[in-house]
This record gives sequence, structure tokens and C-alpha cells, in this order.
Amino acid sequence: MFRYPSLEDCPLDEDEDAFQALGEEDEDIDQFNDDTFGAGAVDDDWQEAHERLAELEDKAGSSREPDGPVGNDGDVLGDPEDALAERLTRLVIDSELEDPAIMQAVHTRDPPQQPGGLNSSIWDSSAMLRRIRGPLLAQEMPSVSVLDYALPQRPPQARDEERDPSERALPRRSSSPIIGSPPVRAIPIGTPPKQAAIPNFNQQILCPKPVHIRATMQQRYPAPYGERMSPNQLCNVPNSSLLGHPFPHSVSPVLTHLQRAQLLGGAQAGRMSPSQFARVSGLVGSPLPSVNPKLLQGRVGQMMSPAGGFRAFFGAPPAPPPSQLPHPPGPGSHLQNLRPQPQMFRPDTTHLHPQHRRLLHQRQQNRNQHRSLNGSGGDRGGHRSSHQEQIRKDPYANLMLQREKDWVSKIQMMQLQSTDPYLDDYYYQNYFQKLEKLAAAEEVHGDGPKKERTKLITPQVAKLEHTYKPVQFEGSLGKLTVSSVNNPRKMIDAVVTSRSEDDETKEKQVRDKRRQTLVTIEKTYSLLLDVEDYERRYLLSLEGERPALMGERKQKICDMYDNLRGKAPGQDRPSDDHFMQIMCIRKGKRLVARILPFLAPEQAADVLMATARNLPFLIKKDAQDEVLPCLLRPFSHVLYHLPLGTVTSLVQQLTNLPQSAAAPTNLHLTAVLQNKFGLSLLYLVLSRGEELQSSDRNTELMQDNQWTELMLMVTRELLRIPQGALAKPVSIPSNLISLFSRYVDQQKLNLLETKLHAGDPVDLRGSSPPLECSRGRMEGRKDGWMEGTRFTPHLPRRPAWHMGHICPPVPG
Amino acid sequence: MNYMPGTASLIQDIDKKHLGLLRDGRTLIGYLRSIDQFANLVLHQTVERIHVGKKYGDIPRGIFVVRGENVVLLGEIDLEKERDTPLQQVSIEEILEEQRVEQQAKQESEKLKVQALKERGLSVPRADTLDEY
Repeated sequence: MFRYPSLEDCPLDEDEDAFQALGEEDEDIDQFNDDTFGAGAVDDDWQEAHERLAELEDKAGSSREPDGPVGNDGDVLGDPEDALAERLTRLVIDSELEDPAIMQAVHTRDPPQQPGGLNSSIWDSSAMLRRIRGPLLAQEMPSVSVLDYALPQRPPQARDEERDPSERALPRRSSSPIIGSPPVRAIPIGTPPKQAAIPNFNQQILCPKPVHIRATMQQRYPAPYGERMSPNQLCNVPNSSLLGHPFPHSVSPVLTHLQRAQLLGGAQAGRMSPSQFARVSGLVGSPLPSVNPKLLQGRVGQMMSPAGGFRAFFGAPPAPPPSQLPHPPGPGSHLQNLRPQPQMFRPDTTHLHPQHRRLLHQRQQNRNQHRSLNGSGGDRGGHRSSHQEQIRKDPYANLMLQREKDWVSKIQMMQLQSTDPYLDDYYYQNYFQKLEKLAAAEEVHGDGPKKERTKLITPQVAKLEHTYKPVQFEGSLGKLTVSSVNNPRKMIDAVVTSRSEDDETKEKQVRDKRRQTLVTIEKTYSLLLDVEDYERRYLLSLEGERPALMGERKQKICDMYDNLRGKAPGQDRPSDDHFMQIMCIRKGKRLVARILPFLAPEQAADVLMATARNLPFLIKKDAQDEVLPCLLRPFSHVLYHLPLGTVTSLVQQLTNLPQSAAAPTNLHLTAVLQNKFGLSLLYLVLSRGEELQSSDRNTELMQDNQWTELMLMVTRELLRIPQGALAKPVSIPSNLISLFSRYVDQQKLNLLETKLHAGDPVDLRGSSPPLECSRGRMEGRKDGWMEGTRFTPHLPRRPAWHMGHICPPVPG
Repeated sequence: MNYMPGTASLIQDIDKKHLGLLRDGRTLIGYLRSIDQFANLVLHQTVERIHVGKKYGDIPRGIFVVRGENVVLLGEIDLEKERDTPLQQVSIEEILEEQRVEQQAKQESEKLKVQALKERGLSVPRADTLDEY
């Protein structure tokens, strides 16, 4: 199709007619082609555009009136790009995500303010290259290949040249999820160039005389390029307008990142941005493979221009806040010299299509104006002045555009989408609830609204039931065997076989049993969490659903209790074994503590009984964890609803009395007394008993022998136990003394009192209530052995479980 | 404008000077220019800082693009406080030399340790090579 297999072969002095002929050959290929080469050929002079731009940039403050959103023919350049930007925005922003929260997070700006930098630069690069390679670029198809990714809905009809450029722009590389991997390169990036290619390449690219349509433009091109000898040399050339400091101070320093990339690419010292490169390769189509490598190599060669370029870039940092980067000597210094000069920074657009270049400049000027107006767009909320100062000092600021920030922020918000925030993000929700409560409480005190805690409103998504149906084709035998995350397939058939060997070791049995218990605990915990959640669900649910919710809740509570106690086959629950297993594990104890409030009174009492019955065992097991005291609070709640009979039996359990009361030492009780939890529990029970007793004088308790016996036993034990062995209880109910006063004499009462309060930091002896006249024996004689003894504060210590005798201390 | 209050989002950190610790132990200081949803970072005017004892040395590196998964920590540098550091800056050659010496010393002590353990019949399990520096 092309007359010349390679660019080198193409005679430099080919006249325009030949070119036109070539162009006509390809009319049927692509509309764009015509637009670019035919009507699209521009009339503008880059120098004029440059001057215009310089003028515009000099007037920093002038603001352009914003364009209307779409379709004004008056301002050709602004609107199509904005329209395109709009379309791209829509493209990127999934329409399903019309979640207000997400939308809030994204700063939607007015369309005219949409940065469309990418568009213009794409224009420039693609068209420019097209123009250079004359016959090659007549084949337009490859050039739009990348574009096709971006704009699948591109309308095929012919358009004005003005509208055309903008519609062909690629979306931002960073934001479009649609574009896949970059186009395949003929030669990978980083291929070292052949030495010979570079000058040739330069010459050819830069002397477009024969191929270019507009003769006037041609002379400009060779000149700047011709000056460039080599990347390194270029660095050393002062006042090189091409190299020029990328960010001269006079220029509004904020440029689009693409432009900067272009600058770097254009400036021979730098490298070509990947986007440009992509376009280059995209443009250079397959039909001329022989030329491509050279071109690519040439470009790559430029890109690979080594340290010189790097140093040049690196060595001339703009004046940011105190930077600790050292200034490399050498080439860098040249650039330093360049800096103070108010260089009109001119990106290297000599290889670009003039119209595209014009667009680029126009957009640049747009953007600069918008930038100066917008500021950072959100980086520093109220600190305008410091921020603008920052802009002045940091010309690299805002490389990441507002749009890109919004895009990232939108992705993050999407990740927060949740159908049930209390499930997915429990701690965050609770934290903010607490904060709000605090803030509300503070506000109530009349402090006025303090700092507003901005809360992140996470997007709420309605739960949609998706039933995944695997893909099936009509008329095919069988189904597609595809397993994905939505449709997992069972790959391994793992069957659990429980070994029932007879010679299973004891250890294994124990271990299995423990594992069973752990599993039970976990299951019960799940039930518990559900039950605890019911209150919230109740509030959120509709009227009709509530009974069902309550029913569910009840059922779950029953299940929990069953789990706790073990499903007994018969009515009776003969064995506490299951319960004890659970209680041996720390998590189990906490579980019981949390479940107790939900249980029915009988069930709770049952649990309490079981605990009391086995308390010494539990104490022994708890020696390491010391978690039993967590049960005290729920136990106390339970206690205060217990009837008399239960209380009695409870004490009985605690003291393990049914055996002969004549046992000299009651190990059970002793153990209880020596344990913090046990003692506290005992006190609570006794206190409850006393409460019942004192509330109604005629209660059975008073006549109850059992109770009296128990009391005597308790008091006897309390007296007997040495001070040091007595545990420090969590709390001492105040009515204990009055309780004891019924059963013991004054002296013993005093002793008891001292013992009880021995651990208190504050000596409560003086404040004890006046003692009732006991019905018991009143012994007047003094027993002197305890008098005069000073009681030191009883320091808490680990309760010791003494199996042996406990000897009273020798009186000192 | 407050981007995503109550969350850890890097958007507010853009264009500020940061110090990042990477998984291979490098410390990079640079201006954070761009991020994405994976917390891939673009650091500008990056300097790799090597610390040995109380001294440090800076190696200018230019622009760094760091893959998000390789970042251990990232924090903003307070420019005022940066001046008051008790550490002493030395030249690159010096710090590299110091680093080499330090590495050598560490290796030697490690060798001695392994030797001692071997004598006693014990062996140190080899640590996995990932994230080890």
C-alpha cells in the first residue's frame, strides 16, 4: 500500500502532490484520517500559538468565562474537550454507583472546569507523529486502536474537524479501568538503541518538508531539533529553549502531569513518558515493520539518554521548602543558571500536529487559569494563603489532579459499601456512636457545639440477593465447568472419619473432649452474639416482624442454655460435667457471665447452683486465669431475685454441708473462703439471706434450722481461719455484721468484724452499725488473746489452696 | 475539604514530605505526589537515607514509584521538627562504610552464635527470607 517500504527510502523532497495522492488512497480506511490530513490540517502557526499562550500566561489573573457544557461552536476547543471529559467521567464513574455517599466524596465540579489535559496531549502526540511519518501514518487504524478501548461508543459519523480531536482523546491513564494493558510494542521499552539510528531518526522526523502539508510550518521544525546534538550536549547548552527549566518561576507553575511528562519526553534530555510511547507505538502500525523498529529505537534512544538527562532533571529542583537534596555539580549547574530566567517554558511539541498543539496550549491555558482559581481543591481546607504560598514554592504540587484524587477516594468509598455496617464494620460504628453520645452529652451541658466531628458516611447498599447461575449455552451437552469465586466447586473430597479405636490413649480422649468443649463454646458464643444483637434489630424492624424476632431470640436462648448444661437425656440434669468442662476454660467462664442476664431465673439459679457445688474444683482450675470474679456481677444480679429456699440451698452448696457437720475442717468452705471469688460469692449470698431475713421478720429463715446451722458453720469457719488466709473479697456487703450478730456473741462479732474489714484501706470499724441484741449467748467475759493485737491491712495475695491444716498464728 | 474523616486515607498527604520504610529495610524520604487504591506511592525528590548509629547519610534517588505492598510504614515529616534532629549527617561514602562495618559486625556475632549453639548440639532454625533485613 505504501510506496516506500521505509522512511529512509522516502525521498526528502517529495512534493505535496505525492502525499496527497497517498492520502486519497486511504480515504476508505478511516474517517479520522481525512479529518486529520484533509480538513483537519491546521491553519495555525505554532509560533503564534506560543505567543498567544505567553500573553495569556502573563496575565495571571485574567479569568476566562466558563464554557457552556456542550456544543458551543463559538469556542471550539473548550467545549468538545469538556464534553469529552464529561463522557469520560461518566465512563469511569460507574453509573450504578449513584450512591450519595460516594458522590459526596467525589468533588463534582462544573464541566468547564474539568481538566482535560490528557486529551490535548494525546492529540498533540498522535497527530504530530502521524504527520511526520507521512505515508506511514496514512494508515490510521492502529492509531485509534488504543482509543477504541476508551471510547467504544464512538459515533462513526463524520464530524467537524473541531469536534474530532476531542472525541478521540484517551481517558486518563490512571483512571480508566477499561483500558487494559498498554499496546504491544514491537520493541520493548529499554531496548538499547542502535547508534546509527539516532541521527537519522532525528533528521527524518525533524525534516518533514516533503511530507508536511503546510509548507510554512516546516522550516520551524528542523531548526530546534537540528540544534540538538546529543542529550548530554543539550544539557550543557544554556538557554536552550527546549531543555529549559521545566518549571520557571514566572510561569504558572502548575501544569498537568501529562504536560510535564511531555516536557520530559520532549526535552531531549529527558525520557519519553510511557503514554507518549504508547501512542507512538500505537501509531506506528504493523504494515511497516521495518520502519517501526527504527522509530521506536530512536525514541527509545531518546528515552534511554542516560545520566545527563537524569541529572539535569534531578539537579534542578525548584525551590521547595528546605530540601536536603544535594546539588549535583556539572550539568545541573547549567540548569540552575537557567532557572532564574523567566523562560517561557515551551514543551517540545514540534513533533506534534499543529492543531493538536493548539489544543494543548489552549487547554493548558484553561487549566492554568482554573488552577490559579481553584487552588489545591481540597488539600488544605482553610489555609488558603499558606497553600498558595506552597504552590508558589512547590511547582510540583498538584501533580495528582483533583479528579484523580476523587477517583481514588471513590474507590475507597466503594470498598466501604456494605449491606450491614454493624456486621462488617462493628467497631467503627460503635466508636462513632460513643463519640456522638459523648458529644451530645457535652452539648447538653450547654457548651455549645464544639468541634464538629465529621463522620464518614459510608455508603449503604441495599442487600441484593444474587443467586449465581453458572453459564449455560443452549443446545450444548453439559455445563461449562468453570469455578469462580461466586461459584466455587468442590475440588477435594475430604471426608472426616472419627477413629474409634479401643486403645485410644487417655490423653487423646481428654484432648478430644476438650476440643468438643471448645467447639461448644464457640457455637454458644455465636448464639450469644446474635441474641445480643436482637435489641438493635428489634428497633430497626417492622412491627409485623417483631414477634418472629422475639421467638427466634427465645429459641436461641434455650439453645444456649442447652449447650451450657449439656443436653441431658432425661428431665434431670444429673451431671455437671459438661458445665464444668466449659467452666474450666477461660472463654467459657466469660461466656457464662455474658449469658446469665438472658437466662430465665430458674435456669440462672441452676447455673449458680452448679457453680457453687463445684466451686473448689473451679477455684483450682482458675488459679492461673483468675477470671472467676467476672462472674460476680451477673451472679449478684441473679441472687437478688432468688427466693429464700434457693438461697439456703445455695449456701448449703457453698459449704457443702450435707455431710456430717461434725467434720473438723470443712475443706470445701475453707477453699471458698480463701478464694476471692468464693469469698465474695459467699458474702453476696449471705447478704441476700440477711436482706430477706431483715425484710420480713416472720420469714421461715429465722426458724429454719438449716439456715441457722449454716450460719453457725460459716461464722465458725470465718473465725477459725487465719487472717492471712482469708481472701480479699471484691466487696463486703454492709449487712453482714448484722447477719452475724444474730448468731454469735459480741466478742466474736468484733472478731468477725475485724476480720471482715481487715483488708479495707479505710477502717470501717468505727462506722459499723449498732449491734442488735443477739438472741444467742451473751458472754461477758473477755477473751484477751485477741485484744491488743494490731491488725495490719490485709494485702491481697493469691489464694492458696491448702490441702493441709491451717494453723492459727501464734499470738504475738 | 476533609477527605474521608475517621479513616486512614492518603489523599490528605499528597504533596507533603514523607518518610517511608520499605520491607527490605530501606528508608525513603520524598514528597508524596501520587497514590492509588493499592497505596502505591510516587515519591518525588526521593532520598534514600541510611542510618547507622547516630549518623545518617542521604543518597539522592529522584523519583520513586513504590508498590504498595512493600511499604511497612509511611508517615508525614514535620518540617520544623526535621531540623532539630539529634542525628548527624555524614557523606554518602562514610555512611556506606559505616553500614558495611555494621553488617560485618553483625555477621560475625551471628556466626559466633551459631557456632556456640552448634557446640551445644542446638541449631537455629533458618528464618524465612521474606521481610528479613
